[in-house]
Amino acid sequence: MTVYWRRLGSGLVAATLVAGTAAAQRPDPRLERLDSITRPVVAALVDSARAAALPTEPLVQRALEGATKRATADRIVAAVRGLALDLGHARHALGPTASPPELTAAAAALRAGAPAATLTELRRVRRASLIVPLAVLTDLVASGVPVDSAAAAVLSLAANARDTDLVEFRRAVERDIALGAPPASATAAAVANAAVQVNAGARQQRPGRP
Amino acid sequence: MFEPDEELIARVVQQLRRPVTVDSGLDARVMAQVGRFPAHRVGGTARAAWRWLTRPRMVRLSPLGGLAIAAAFAIVALARPDRYSRTAPAGEREFGFVVVAPRAATVSLVGDFNDWDAARTPMQRAGKQASVWTAVLPLTPGRYRYAFLVDGVSWLADPAAPAARDDEFGTPSSVVTVGGS
Repeated sequence: MTVYWRRLGSGLVAATLVAGTAAAQRPDPRLERLDSITRPVVAALVDSARAAALPTEPLVQRALEGATKRATADRIVAAVRGLALDLGHARHALGPTASPPELTAAAAALRAGAPAATLTELRRVRRASLIVPLAVLTDLVASGVPVDSAAAAVLSLAANARDTDLVEFRRAVERDIALGAPPASATAAAVANAAVQVNAGARQQRPGRP
Repeated sequence: MFEPDEELIARVVQQLRRPVTVDSGLDARVMAQVGRFPAHRVGGTARAAWRWLTRPRMVRLSPLGGLAIAAAFAIVALARPDRYSRTAPAGEREFGFVVVAPRAATVSLVGDFNDWDAARTPMQRAGKQASVWTAVLPLTPGRYRYAFLVDGVSWLADPAAPAARDDEFGTPSSVVTVGGS
């Protein structure tokens, strides 16, 4: 009787392990939208990212974007592979505690040309989420602001600025650029203005002081 | 006919108006009688019920019975009707998307937030003949790429949003960032 129960227990454990492994290796059903050439390659990239503890959802979304836009297989694979590499670099720059949305935003910033050291410095100076600072950095570069100017601007504000302050800062820069200001000058002017606003806001928020 | 009644009433009134003298020991005698009744305890039943409920008892349960009770609890917990209902994650915010497409018959909002599925978020006209199309989506903090798909064939970026820098697929996309503070 004891042997019987032991064998039954071993069988159940083995079945559970096999089922769990099979479930873990089952490709994301959303990847069915990819063609038969692209799907296994993307699935392998997603599995590799998962094994490296990187977020896989951005990779799936990038592949689905390509499929919806009817991109060729090689373009989709190249995009997903590039994003996976960027996510790995982002993890290296931000450290193991970075959240998946932070890593996604950091990958976009790296792709835009932001130095990895800037990301690491951002992590050091800002305790709040880095999603918006990284997004603002990326958007500024996309607006034509030189990477060095954009990075310096975001770093100077990141420690104390709220997300809304940073978004307003980005809007101010884009507005000035649209009005004809050189991107670097627009950024410098907006930083000065935003710093005043942020400091004023910090003073107002401080409790128990006039 | 009325005279005798009036006389009767007058006599009754006279009797009622006559001063009555009360024995000074009446109060003491009444209270003594009251004291003989058993005291009524306020909340006595509730106290007894509480004692019954809190009295320790020994329950004998076989291992199989214990497992059955645990399984019943698990089934009840897993079979909650709201288990599969969508709860709003923390920090979720609604975002409005607007695009002007005067000659469009259909416009879809597609992006990282809906698996780039054109059928998932069809946009609505702002009026019957209006050329403005709108959609509202709840988004959790993060950075999302998206675009508008017009009539199922034409891709439009959002002119009011930052452009996605990496357009590997040859069509424009935009970016929306949802922050938490």
